Amino acid sequence: MFKRLLLTGLEYQLTTISVLLIITVITAMGLNRLSIDTGLDSLIPANDPMRLVYERISDEFGTDNRTIIYIRDTNLWTPQKLEALEKLHHELGKLDYVTRVDDLFSLHTIRGEDGKVDSRPLMPEAPATLELAQQIRQDALDNPLIVDNFISVDATVTAIIVSIREARNDNDFNFRVNNDLNNLVAGIQPLFDEVVQVGSPRINTELKTSLAADFKLLGPLSAFILVLSIVVFLRSTTAALIPIITSALSIIWTFGLMGWLGLPVNILSVMLPSLIIVIGSTEDTHLIASYFHSMTKTESSASSRERRRIASRMMMNHMGLPLVLTISTTLLGFASNIFNSIGLIQDFAISSTMAILFNGLITLLLVPILLERFGPLKNSIYQQDGHMSGVASLVSSAFSFSQSRFPRMILVITGVLCVFFIYAASKLHVTNDPLSYFPEHRPLIQDAKLIHQDLSGIKLFFITLETDREKSFQHPRNIQKLADIQKFIRKQGAFDRSISLADHLAFVNREFRQGEEKLDLPESRELVSQFLLFFHRSDLESYISHDMSKANIIVRHNIHDSHTLNRYVEELRQAIPAIVGNEMKASIVSENLMVNQAAESLMIAQVKSLVILLFVIFLIMSAMYTSFKGGVISLVPAVIPIVLMFGTMGLLDIPLNPGTAMVAVIAIGIAIDGTIHLLSRYNELCRRTDNYIEAVSITVHEESTPLVTASLSLAFGFGILLLSNFTVVAQFGALAAATMLFSIYANLLITPLIMTHVRLVGLHQILAISVDKVVLENSPLFADMSNYQRRKAILISELNEFDAGEKLIVQDTSGRNMYLLLSGEVDVIRHNPDEDLHLATLKPGQVFGEIGFIKETHRTADVQARTDVSVLRFDYDKLKKDLKLFPNIIAKLNFNISCILGERLADVVESMGHANKQEK
Amino acid sequence: MKFLTTTLLFIPLLTVTAIPVRADSAHMSGKQIMEEVYRRHEQFPYIYEEQVMVLIDAAGNRDTRKLRRYSRLDSADNGRYLLLFDDPPEVRGVGLLTTIQHPDSIQAGIYLPAFGDKLIESIGQNESESFLGTDFSVYDLLPEPLEKYHFQRQPDNMIDEVNYFIIDIYKLNNAQRESTPPYKRHYIRQDNYYITRTDTFDRHGRIYKRQTHHDLKPLGGQMWRANMMLMENMKTSHQTLIKIERRVFSRDYVPESLFTLQWLIDNQHMSDEEETAENDKDTAASADAVSLTLGRL
Repeated sequence: MFKRLLLTGLEYQLTTISVLLIITVITAMGLNRLSIDTGLDSLIPANDPMRLVYERISDEFGTDNRTIIYIRDTNLWTPQKLEALEKLHHELGKLDYVTRVDDLFSLHTIRGEDGKVDSRPLMPEAPATLELAQQIRQDALDNPLIVDNFISVDATVTAIIVSIREARNDNDFNFRVNNDLNNLVAGIQPLFDEVVQVGSPRINTELKTSLAADFKLLGPLSAFILVLSIVVFLRSTTAALIPIITSALSIIWTFGLMGWLGLPVNILSVMLPSLIIVIGSTEDTHLIASYFHSMTKTESSASSRERRRIASRMMMNHMGLPLVLTISTTLLGFASNIFNSIGLIQDFAISSTMAILFNGLITLLLVPILLERFGPLKNSIYQQDGHMSGVASLVSSAFSFSQSRFPRMILVITGVLCVFFIYAASKLHVTNDPLSYFPEHRPLIQDAKLIHQDLSGIKLFFITLETDREKSFQHPRNIQKLADIQKFIRKQGAFDRSISLADHLAFVNREFRQGEEKLDLPESRELVSQFLLFFHRSDLESYISHDMSKANIIVRHNIHDSHTLNRYVEELRQAIPAIVGNEMKASIVSENLMVNQAAESLMIAQVKSLVILLFVIFLIMSAMYTSFKGGVISLVPAVIPIVLMFGTMGLLDIPLNPGTAMVAVIAIGIAIDGTIHLLSRYNELCRRTDNYIEAVSITVHEESTPLVTASLSLAFGFGILLLSNFTVVAQFGALAAATMLFSIYANLLITPLIMTHVRLVGLHQILAISVDKVVLENSPLFADMSNYQRRKAILISELNEFDAGEKLIVQDTSGRNMYLLLSGEVDVIRHNPDEDLHLATLKPGQVFGEIGFIKETHRTADVQARTDVSVLRFDYDKLKKDLKLFPNIIAKLNFNISCILGERLADVVESMGHANKQEK
Repeated sequence: MKFLTTTLLFIPLLTVTAIPVRADSAHMSGKQIMEEVYRRHEQFPYIYEEQVMVLIDAAGNRDTRKLRRYSRLDSADNGRYLLLFDDPPEVRGVGLLTTIQHPDSIQAGIYLPAFGDKLIESIGQNESESFLGTDFSVYDLLPEPLEKYHFQRQPDNMIDEVNYFIIDIYKLNNAQRESTPPYKRHYIRQDNYYITRTDTFDRHGRIYKRQTHHDLKPLGGQMWRANMMLMENMKTSHQTLIKIERRVFSRDYVPESLFTLQWLIDNQHMSDEEETAENDKDTAASADAVSLTLGRL
């Protein structure tokens, strides 16, 4: 049934191709519905309880979506330059989405001098004279609320902070805003030494443009690398075209369906074309390698069509099941993130799972058809004797040599390496900051650093204190709490700047008390209120609610590492209750903070995904090999590369981010493919030989070419992602590539070492076995055993076939094999010195050689095939070793053998009784 | 701060007598129209007012203050003005004492009861500067001295079935006034020569403030006054509304002794707790009245 399913493509070629084409057309129609999502929303867990708090606080105190325009000039304070800035201020104000422009032209200042107080706008308009400009410069420098916030300490830099009301449903909003800001900035650029703008619109736009650039570059480059590596390893141009065809269809299906389902393309799904091409090609490579191998077994005299037909069917028979298994495990790897709370990862998980599923389906259906129709007749990797040639064979020979010569050393080295890398992995940290997605050399990052160098950082968060009483923050003791929190922040030394109502009041207080350098707070509630008369509501709306029941501290910083930021914020979070007491509720929020705090969820989600995936793969493999130990053993070669990968991350200080976080699960899904192919082939070989070491050697020889080809292609393909514009994608690519190389090591060195010590039985083999049921049911060896147990026991044995007249057992030789006759008849003949005594003719279901199986002794008779026979041979040593994994079955077998021996003994006793009677 | 006083001083200046439109108005220049506006103006020398000031921010939040204003003109050019806060309680007693010696000398002192028994001199003034968190600057309310400005009459306009003179005002020292936007633009009702709307422009010709007068009442038969003024700041979307609750023209209400620091110190707690409660009630009622009125504007 299963095999027929696998051969569907070959059996119904026209129908299959028609269906594939129809689906392609339908999905392709969804391509123009594709949208791109680079918004920060997708980086925040949908269930983050802080979302509502954040929305409420940003409604109250204004948006944290602020763009900083940085202007540096050594002669900034001249009428001409200030005039240009004033013009820019007004131009910015004209933009419909700009809610606020905070700069030198919007600031209010208070100055106390000679017993007089001057409360006025810092610069209502650009000054007409240089003298006036210099006076304004001095006024600005004297105002601690302005220095470091709006101007640098040497006053050569000023900042315009533009608050933007985001249009959430407008896909091009950020692009439009960034474009407008760039145009305005370009307008004044020639006048100043340096002008840059950094903010969400630019970050978002750069994410989008980089994403588009990645799309254009990575897919085609991956395809090129794939073709190149297949041509190099498999030395067949036709073979190289097949993965391209399947990948192209898979890409259309995936992105088309994404369009229909409204799944956006994000910075992770930009990798999908590369991943489809690279990962999808591994299955094609295994199939093509198997096809080539099958081709060596076809009659060269047969027609080309017939040879292709036979080879492609043999290929499907041989590879079908492992292929389904590997597709399933890879699928699981990608799907394990579907329940991730971070939208970015969840969307990617859904689309990549679809991609792998589609690619698997297309591969299973289309590749056999393509090979049967256009498959190459000659191959360069397998010689006519079935042995390999080429680059991959060199790699596999090197591994074979090491594995056979230094098995212990390899295990010890692997163990030590794993311990060391686990230690290194303990230094892993997480980050989810959008700016960390870009490489350091990128102008955006450089510009952000530039701003941070001269002013407070571009990132901010709010610390909001809430009370349930109006006018609470008229009380100096409550304002003091704001100041105390700010004092704690300064002590932390991690953030650039914090500003609150306390700073404003301390400043007015200082100016009224002229001459005092200290910034003390007003001491009475009345004085607070009376000082507040000197501010406009717009001066304070970011710091105090209208009813004065809530106060806000704005903290600016430039920390790009979520781990560091979260640590300091957590420290702050824990310190605040002690400062504010029970009567106030404190919240620390901002969109950037939520994004960074999602890093923690990222870590937890990844651990969960990894554990779930390992468990599911363990279950699948346990089921496939009908043993939990088999499940564990299958995981070992998959876990080693992951340990090495996490260790590498720790050693090279690569953070766990939305890109790198997925490597582990995806790599496990892919790396286990090699193990499955190796174990499947090894199982097949074990059915025909009792020499496990030789079986391992043959397995490695046969499977290493596709395995090395696939792994190296994957490594190259993932390596291509290093060219991505995104650090997260490049890091993902580099780590996935390294993991693929680690998987070659694990699969060609560790898996064979494990295989020589175990014999696993595949479920598919149990299900597929075709032995006369009646024979099995009637056989005393399998008495009281379930059909499943019988089949499993059969698979642990070897199926041997003998022609009529051949001897299965030779008298006086020693041997520990026991046989179960499946078909035909055998004669048991004892050679006495004077005559040959025909002891019995055995029929299907009967057992012989059981005495030698129990105890090593000389065979007492010949067993010779009367007709062509097929027998199951049970080797004592092999069975003893194999059945460690199947204790229930060995117990039943031993019991049944005892019964058989008992019957034999009874027969002998009875025969002797008859003989004695006859003698008497 | 001193602008506040000056501003409030000139509130009555904006009251004009209702005189039929002059027959030759079609041929009047901008300056002549303004002279007519000022001619119709007659300021009382002793005025006591009780005001409610409502500050409305972009989000619609409202702050209400209750004030008293005392003005005393000693001569045509010299005047003393006191603005005194009564509510909210925490700013009660805050005073702004201003002396104007026309045309250029303005002296203002701020008295903050919580800061101590001293009058702090307030310096600095700017046309774009507003005072005490309001959207008014003194220049918004001062009648432009005719000798310092150029008044350019624009084509008349009819708005809501009322005919208006439109007068653009340029600073006299603006040599490029042909190519630059006006400093202000007045909308003057033709039926009573009352300025009901004034737009203030920035250098780029954009309106950044708009002042409108409402609740016009005839006073003494031919004279009109506005009991409500609204200033809208287009830049910050902030609004300030001043509603005059009570106005008394009486020498007895504004004795000379009022305009001293000592009086401010002695009278900072003029209301007892009951009065405070009453004030709160009044303030709330006034704010509601203002809301209703604004809704109709």
